[in-house]
Amino acid sequence: MIITNKILNVDDYYFDVFMSISQALTGFTVNELQSTGLTETYYTYILGNLDAGTFVEFLTVSKNVLEKSFTEDQLKNAIVSEIVMNPGMSDIADKVITLWYLGTWEGAYINDLSYQEGLVWNVMNAHPPGAKQPGYKSWAVEPVNSNS
Amino acid sequence: MRKPTHKKDVIIVGTGIAGSLIAKLLTDHVYSVNGKKFIHRTAANLRFKEILAEIDFESVKKLEHLPASASYQNEINNSKDRTHKEIDAQAAKKNIDPKTLENRIGLELFKTYFFLEFYHEISILMYEAGLEAGVELDSVSSMTNYTEYMRTFYTQEAKVPNSPYPNLKQAPSPNVLDVAQITPPFPDKKGYLVQFGPMAFASDAIRVGGGTTLHWLGTTPRMLPNDFRLTEKYGIEINKPDSSDKSPINWPIDYDTLKPYYEMAEFEIGVSGDVSKQEYPIDESMEEYYGNYVFPMEEIPQSYMDNQIIKGLKDTSVKLNFEEIQLLLVPSPQGRNSAPNLRYGNTKVIRAKYKKPGYSLVLDDSEKEEYKALGSIWNPYMGERCEGNASCVPICPVQAKYNALKTLKKALYKINENDNLKRNPHIEIKAQSVVYRLSVDQKRISKVHLRRYTSKEKTDFIEEFIDTSDSIVILAANAFENPKILLNSKYMVTENGRQVEKTVANNSDQVGRNLMDHMVMLTWGLFPEPVYSYRGPGSTTNISSFRDGKFRSEFSAWISPLDNWGWSWPAFSPGSDLSEFLGQGLFGTDLKEALTYRLSRQVLFHFEIEQLPNPNNRVTINNQYMDALGIPRPVVHYELTDYEKKAMEQAKLASDQMFERLGIQDFTKYNATDPNTTVYNNVRYSYNGAGHIVGTHRMGSSPDDSVTDSYCKSWDHPNLYIVGAGNMTTLGTSNPTLTLSAFTIRSVESILTDLEAHF
Ligand SMILES: Cc1cc2nc3c(=O)[nH]c(=O)nc-3n(C[C@H](O)[C@H](O)[C@H](O)COP(=O)(O)OP(=O)(O)OC[C@H]3O[C@@H](n4cnc5c(N)ncnc54)[C@H](O)[C@@H]3O)c2cc1C
Ligand code: SF4
Repeated sequence: MIITNKILNVDDYYFDVFMSISQALTGFTVNELQSTGLTETYYTYILGNLDAGTFVEFLTVSKNVLEKSFTEDQLKNAIVSEIVMNPGMSDIADKVITLWYLGTWEGAYINDLSYQEGLVWNVMNAHPPGAKQPGYKSWAVEPVNSNS
Repeated sequence: MRKPTHKKDVIIVGTGIAGSLIAKLLTDHVYSVNGKKFIHRTAANLRFKEILAEIDFESVKKLEHLPASASYQNEINNSKDRTHKEIDAQAAKKNIDPKTLENRIGLELFKTYFFLEFYHEISILMYEAGLEAGVELDSVSSMTNYTEYMRTFYTQEAKVPNSPYPNLKQAPSPNVLDVAQITPPFPDKKGYLVQFGPMAFASDAIRVGGGTTLHWLGTTPRMLPNDFRLTEKYGIEINKPDSSDKSPINWPIDYDTLKPYYEMAEFEIGVSGDVSKQEYPIDESMEEYYGNYVFPMEEIPQSYMDNQIIKGLKDTSVKLNFEEIQLLLVPSPQGRNSAPNLRYGNTKVIRAKYKKPGYSLVLDDSEKEEYKALGSIWNPYMGERCEGNASCVPICPVQAKYNALKTLKKALYKINENDNLKRNPHIEIKAQSVVYRLSVDQKRISKVHLRRYTSKEKTDFIEEFIDTSDSIVILAANAFENPKILLNSKYMVTENGRQVEKTVANNSDQVGRNLMDHMVMLTWGLFPEPVYSYRGPGSTTNISSFRDGKFRSEFSAWISPLDNWGWSWPAFSPGSDLSEFLGQGLFGTDLKEALTYRLSRQVLFHFEIEQLPNPNNRVTINNQYMDALGIPRPVVHYELTDYEKKAMEQAKLASDQMFERLGIQDFTKYNATDPNTTVYNNVRYSYNGAGHIVGTHRMGSSPDDSVTDSYCKSWDHPNLYIVGAGNMTTLGTSNPTLTLSAFTIRSVESILTDLEAHF
């Protein structure tokens, strides 16, 4: 379990694995994910709320998936077979996706920013209710802030 | 038990829109000793300036020179206190000789005193069940408190109407999260309401400073003329309490009586809208309905989604069982800021005009200034315009949406003769004070009893009462709490030589009865193209076609707002869409595309169905069910009749036709497990509450079948007014707040007349 200590450090390789697999799972680029300002918060949050061994296993599986896939198709197939079809892994993957899209982990927001930065609002060309207001009359025209 | 507090002219229970309107309108007026009548403060200030101009101030230099008659002793002492503090503070700050300042401030004090020689101020005490922090209206505290509401909102998992606000054990609020199906014979008592059913009452309210307008949507249509005469027009009658005798259900006032007060309410709320675009199915012309009138602010733009739907439905009609109905899609008037309408003219004041005997209120536009939007309570330049935050329910981050704190602040801070805002010392608000009972002596309300809790955390409280035998008592605690307090107030009278127990204001046996709400039946589906829902104020358009018509003799009328919030209400979108797609194994770009497709096409139609007054739908109390302060909780009995259920059937029929015409793929699903669901003609319909809690202390023309007269004054007690949506005789298809504001404003005419006896 050498990895356990290593992943506590957001500068290390496993943090990159987390970001890369998040990109593949959410459909948002690492850059877009980083622009939420929450990457490190999420990483350390998961560490604190998931059994360390399980998270390590998820990252190790993810690392293998990423390393052996050279094309988009290969990556997709590998995720399906190694993660989506794997009962132990798919649950964590869903949680990670939900974290990025909604800002919640098991139904609860990580903090008030995680609500505001949920990617689901970008996908629908809108914004989180109560935050990032687009301005008077913006709702009368087609959205101009297409982030998707 | 504490000693009774010093007597006040008026005691108001509740700081919601009803209570705040009365506090503001009353404190806008002062009693002219010479004229022996109430006049508006601005007129008094003008006259006072003239008086001052005639005085030689050199001879009035010091505080001590003030003659001190007993009645103003208090006033002077208070002012002295404030004056000395101010002198010290300012002198220290400006580094000047306190003596110079003392002379100047002594003069100010003299003016205050001198003003009171000519004009008497109405003294008001307000009780508020919510936290102290909720009614602190100075800029810093109100901003801090509101920011706390916002932060709570962000982090709450379920973003329901009450989610931003403190959930107090000492003053609990009904919450939609507590609404569940009721299994007889046991009531559902999970939340604050004790629900005996058979159907659960599905609406909530919030007990904070400013009341339920903090989380209302802000839609403000007026009622239609026929809403005031259902018996005359459609022959509808209702049962008398506990009897099968029928009685008519007419209002004691009609639309024309209320019309000037609607204008006053629209001024106070700051309604945005376009009169010329309002189209309703009424007998009268729109010129008769609105007159030569514009709303204070211009129309809030309709959403992109609305316009796509309007394009598809314009100039078409739908067929109900009875008749073919033309579709009218109109921009909703609403209580949120857009841009002031230049044609509206100047800022107005609501002024009492003396008309022997009594008063009539008028909307006077003699002020010089242009009409301005009311910004947030902590900063007038914030929230001057709606910014599209799309969170009107439960909270508008910038306060572009009207809330009653704005009116409350105007009650507490008056403009002095130098045009500065100044705290009015004649109005006091005591928060964390839960009123639970009234006492009666010789028909008059002689005491208001309350329990004051000391902190948010603890449930220990101080028992207090105030002597009100010389005061006017106004219950403005909303349509659940007003009847609850009344029913908890018992007193004895001698009738035919026997002692009989009565409950306050209840000789008609109508207190707590006729509880009504709009049943919100929702239909939802996917539009063929993206309409980009989830943007803009909650709702900007409504279909007004079904608000009136011959069908009303058979089934309820309804209004159909279009909602800009996707399927969030009926289906918990977007979270539910995400989990549905995750369940299908979607991830990456496939997931993103599926979500984009689904979320940008979601549309939601409302059918807000009118409920008729029914004496068996009611709020009662029962000593078995108490809250943490030992005060009875509202016990609710509630059900629907076929009149309302048939309207659901017809509304679904209308929805199906509109969906088909628009190519909307229907996703509507009503389940047997829904909290409020009913089967009619073998088809299931489910509904939600609209937050429109109405009818529990109805007004009427006779003490036999109503609780108050048309001025919201209790028939049974000469010093008791009961105000709020509970006064409404019928519900109609309008959201109730504009109407309750209109007749609450009108009640001030009667209150001023009653107050004359005090001065
Ligand atoms: C989700 C929602 C959306 C709505 N949308 C709209 C809309 O779009 N348009 C519309 O017209 N209406 C709407 N309404 C209805 C509207 O909010 C109410 O009609 C209106 O706010 C009622 O005002 P009120 O002053 O009578 O009562 P409230 O606002 O409920 O005020 C009552 C006050 O009394 C205080 N109080 C209560 N009990 C006690 C006690 N025992 N002792 C002391 N103080 C007490 C409370 O704390 C509060 O300050 C909506 C309601 C809800 C719930
Ligand atoms: S859309 Fe936003 S800014 Fe406008 S009223 Fe609603 S919450 Fe306030």
